[in-house]
Amino acid sequence: MTELFFTVFSAAFFVTIIRTSTPLLLSTMGGLVADLSGALNVALEGMMLTGALTAVLVSVYAPWYVAVLAGMSAGAMLGLIMAFFAFRMRADIILVGFAINILAAGGTVFALSLATGGDKGTSINLPSKAVPAVDLSFLSGIPVVGPFLTSILSGHSVLSWFAAFVVFAVWYFLYRTPWGLWLRGVGEYPAAPEAAGIPVNLVRTLSLAVSGALAGIGGAQLAMFNYVGFTRDMTAGRGFIALGAVLLGARHPVGALCAALLFGAFEALAVVMPGIFDDAPAELIRAIPFVVTILALILFSIRAQRALALRGAK
Amino acid sequence: MALLEAIGIGKTYPGGVVANDGVNLVIQPGEVHAVVGENGAGKSTLMKILFGLEQPNAGTLLLDGKSVHFAGPREAIEAGIGMVFQHFSLVPSFTVYENVVMGSEPRAGIRLDRRKAIAEVQALSDRFRLKVDPLPPVRSLPVGQQQRVEILKSLYRNARILILDEPTAVLAPQEVQELFVAIRSLVAQGKTVIFIAHKLPEVLEISDRITVMRQGKTVGSVKTSDVTEQSLAAMMVGREVSLRVDRKPTDQSQRVASVKGLRVVNARGTEVVAGLDLNVHAGEIVGLVGVEGNGQAETLEAIAGLRSIAGGEIEIASQSATGLSVLERRGLGLASIPEDRIAEGLATGASVAENLVATRLNDTRYVRNGLLDLKAIKANAQKLIERFSIRVGGPGYAVGTLSGGNMQKVVVARELSEQPKLLLVNQPTRGVDLGATQFIWRTITDARDAGTAVLLSSADLSELLALSDRLLVFYRGKIVAAFVNSPDLTPETLGTYMLGLSTQTPAEMQVALK
Amino acid sequence: MSNVPTIDRASRWKAIRTEVGRAVGALAIALAVAFVVVLLTSKSPFEALNVLLTQIPARPRTIGLWLDDVAKLTITGLAFSLVFQARQFSMGVQGQVYVGGLAATWVALSPLGTTWAAIPLGMAAAMLAGAIWGFIPGIAKAKLGANEIVSSLMLNYIAIELCNYLVRAVLPKPQAGVLTTNDFPDTAVIPQLIKFDGLNITRLDYGFVFAIVAVIVVWFALYRTSWGLKLRLVGHNPRFAEYSGIKSTFIMVSAMTAAGALGGLLGSMFVQGQGYGKLTVLFEGNLAFEGILVAIVARSRPLAVPVVALFYGYLRQGAQLMNIRTDVPAEVIGVVTAIIILLVSSSFSINFIKRLFRRHAAPAATATVPAGSAAK
Repeated sequence: MTELFFTVFSAAFFVTIIRTSTPLLLSTMGGLVADLSGALNVALEGMMLTGALTAVLVSVYAPWYVAVLAGMSAGAMLGLIMAFFAFRMRADIILVGFAINILAAGGTVFALSLATGGDKGTSINLPSKAVPAVDLSFLSGIPVVGPFLTSILSGHSVLSWFAAFVVFAVWYFLYRTPWGLWLRGVGEYPAAPEAAGIPVNLVRTLSLAVSGALAGIGGAQLAMFNYVGFTRDMTAGRGFIALGAVLLGARHPVGALCAALLFGAFEALAVVMPGIFDDAPAELIRAIPFVVTILALILFSIRAQRALALRGAK
Repeated sequence: MALLEAIGIGKTYPGGVVANDGVNLVIQPGEVHAVVGENGAGKSTLMKILFGLEQPNAGTLLLDGKSVHFAGPREAIEAGIGMVFQHFSLVPSFTVYENVVMGSEPRAGIRLDRRKAIAEVQALSDRFRLKVDPLPPVRSLPVGQQQRVEILKSLYRNARILILDEPTAVLAPQEVQELFVAIRSLVAQGKTVIFIAHKLPEVLEISDRITVMRQGKTVGSVKTSDVTEQSLAAMMVGREVSLRVDRKPTDQSQRVASVKGLRVVNARGTEVVAGLDLNVHAGEIVGLVGVEGNGQAETLEAIAGLRSIAGGEIEIASQSATGLSVLERRGLGLASIPEDRIAEGLATGASVAENLVATRLNDTRYVRNGLLDLKAIKANAQKLIERFSIRVGGPGYAVGTLSGGNMQKVVVARELSEQPKLLLVNQPTRGVDLGATQFIWRTITDARDAGTAVLLSSADLSELLALSDRLLVFYRGKIVAAFVNSPDLTPETLGTYMLGLSTQTPAEMQVALK
Repeated sequence: MSNVPTIDRASRWKAIRTEVGRAVGALAIALAVAFVVVLLTSKSPFEALNVLLTQIPARPRTIGLWLDDVAKLTITGLAFSLVFQARQFSMGVQGQVYVGGLAATWVALSPLGTTWAAIPLGMAAAMLAGAIWGFIPGIAKAKLGANEIVSSLMLNYIAIELCNYLVRAVLPKPQAGVLTTNDFPDTAVIPQLIKFDGLNITRLDYGFVFAIVAVIVVWFALYRTSWGLKLRLVGHNPRFAEYSGIKSTFIMVSAMTAAGALGGLLGSMFVQGQGYGKLTVLFEGNLAFEGILVAIVARSRPLAVPVVALFYGYLRQGAQLMNIRTDVPAEVIGVVTAIIILLVSSSFSINFIKRLFRRHAAPAATATVPAGSAAK
């Protein structure tokens, strides 16, 4: 038990949490933007997966940053396709989202098989690249706190720092810029921005594209830092955990950040526990974020209901 | 030179509905111009075209003598046309200033300049006498103030022409007067106002000129000083409108339903019905008078069992109904025609037969042991289609394919097919053409003549005065006046009580409260 | 009005013709896209297409695989049809399949597994487990207004991880390290449907019969019972249903619970079926979600579900065959599935193509601002 305690409260574990949370956080921010514009994006899973594969395949031929951009573009493209069918073609956005997920699940394996010459499981035979880590070991030079700072701040992926920036950028965008106002208005009461001449469908389309782009980058991180290379179905539900994090975070960037970190912590635990306890039910630990999401969903709903009930209404 | 001219505007919707046919409109600068016509006359379509929400199939628009074409609201707004809809377009959680500036925000780089926005909104509010605080979230404001926010939206964008779509529909007469003050102020400062309306007294009071529309065409354009209410109505309908419905004398002694001390609280925690008593008897129509939102709709919903109550007792057919479910109350002989037929009264995707039997699924004539008797259901539908002259291809057709008037007939047919003991009616002829309106008025009166007790709520005072035996005036969730209907009773008298300008004493109400 | 019945029938045939036209059109486009993909990536595209489209009926074994898929697709299609008819978007069929499979496994590996009761009890247990898994999002939505999409999705993954854990660490397995349980005793495995001299189709079992029974039961429930009418009315307009005195909450919950039972049944059909006869991790292979396609192409009509399942199952197995015999991976079917779902859910038709090219796109999917109309 003490071993667990020391493991969890170690700098190394913190670094692990950052690593596991990064793909999740990026997707969560993507899900947040889409959700606030009124377009629930259930295709984050497929977008992450597609971003992961695209990044891996492109990285075989190009530098890592080009690969990341490719992953991002693949995700954004899926977002645009989603928007096309949901808004222009009036299909139900949930069904469109699942269609994208099915497309991604099959399409990635198909493309993988082609690229590896028949291997449908992993891309292990491909020389794909990794996203570099940011080395801040110069911080050790600072007196007293130096080594501690190094241990917790150095070695994170470039994309992790990017993700932190994204959180700030999303917050600033939503609450300090006019377009964020537009987006929130479109999500809450579309008739109002429409009457003001704001192109509602365009706003939602762009938000889905951004959502896909962020999920794509999250996928790139997953397949170029968390793991190096693509494995089929490697996202393992992260796209849906991201939706849970949006909900748990009360649909606010800071809340979503905390929720994503929390869920990342559970994923990290699931990795670490079997090393300490032979019989650790890693699967059940991996299931905890899903359980927490349901509990959060229920709690938020109860709170909303209780507020109504207190006033004796219907 | 005219400020805005519409010449020969034509608009046909896909599906064949001709909404506008050779419509002409001439708006002079600085005038208040009213556009009147009944529902379906084509007013809303014309306004949508002026505002760029719809594109005309034919005709031209001239602004300042130059031909213009608006592909969307943005262009209309840029040309100086602003529109205030009946259903407000305000984001509930946004503040007043956020709602006003959204889409044309003052910026400092990429940042939204909130301080400047607040200042500008405050300035506009002062200048045009539209008092409203820029800071609170819009959902916390009363309707009259929300409307001011809507007007400020147009003024913020330098609208020269303001189109107001039935602005007085949700206002009490006092608030209407405040609105008229604001309109006069706007005109005095150089704005032009187009005013779409149903309520002829208001039209005569505020407008300079009136254009009358009927069935998609313009009937004529007159100066307000040249017409009276009756001649206007005649222009609108094409024949003299009879405003009273013949009623048979009935025995109104037997009490069918009563409400004591009813209290209803809404979702925001406000008490919308505050301790109300009323009785209704067989063979009478009791009209519930009041501006929308004063508790009439909630009272009807509470009696129907669709809304839970915070206090009081309800009795139907001498039985306590307070704990009973909707189905159980219907079993006691309750029927109800809801306010919004598409949202509440019908399942547009289901067939006419299914709609007609939906409220009777515990009736053993149609359902036994959980199984449907399809033959009986279809026979019932055919019978009702004939009896109520519903124009439809057959009982198997989806209700959504019917016209508005016929849809309402389906609702009426369902509710009145078995002589109910108690009928609750809310806005029975809203959005219904004149022919169907007459039919529905007749049907309700016939039910009353045969002994049904009717509670009628309507925003249309003339409908209430035409149909009711007694009238109860609602204000802030209480009954403040009660009248026995007579030719001497005028809308003005009712209006005084509708705003709480006066209240009758219990003694005065006694007779009419029964 | 004696001509009323014919008008009804005429309008109904027209509707069927439109729907079939739509489905066939979507299928044609999807296959065309798939063909282009195959053309670009395979060394022998025409042979691949030939295998995909024509080789299934060649041998009894492949026919058996096909019909077995049809049975399973029918069940999941029925499950989704039920929830779609009630306008709920509970996506939890996958989770229901896994907990159903777990429940059936528990019966099969228990002492009861060796008795005659193993199959019926296993199925019953599976249906119960699936019903519970369907009930949870239902009651959360009905009583608390909690979004059933999110809750059902979460329950899917919880079920999968639960199954993974139990198979790996708890349930009896033949040897350490494998991710499957012991084989079920023969009495707990659903028997083969067709096993005569000369015609031995191995994969096809009585699950096929269960599927047919399920179609009839669901159709009857939806169109001949008052529960079914109430469910459809709730799906059309929940407020109207409430106004009519129909208890929307009960209907919603019961619809999702019934669909859950179907999902659970599917789980039992998997693990107790000839194809497996034991519990393996990830046995369901994402088949549950293909029920979405079946349901929407069938417009959630129970009688149309098996027809759609027949065609789609054919393609599905065709893709597997193509995978084995040619160099085209089976996953290309995912492209086909996705395209069909996208097109059919867009109410795809010739008008659709016209709409596609009309310059003025309709205003956003918002509450159209009703100037002077009947809205409050």
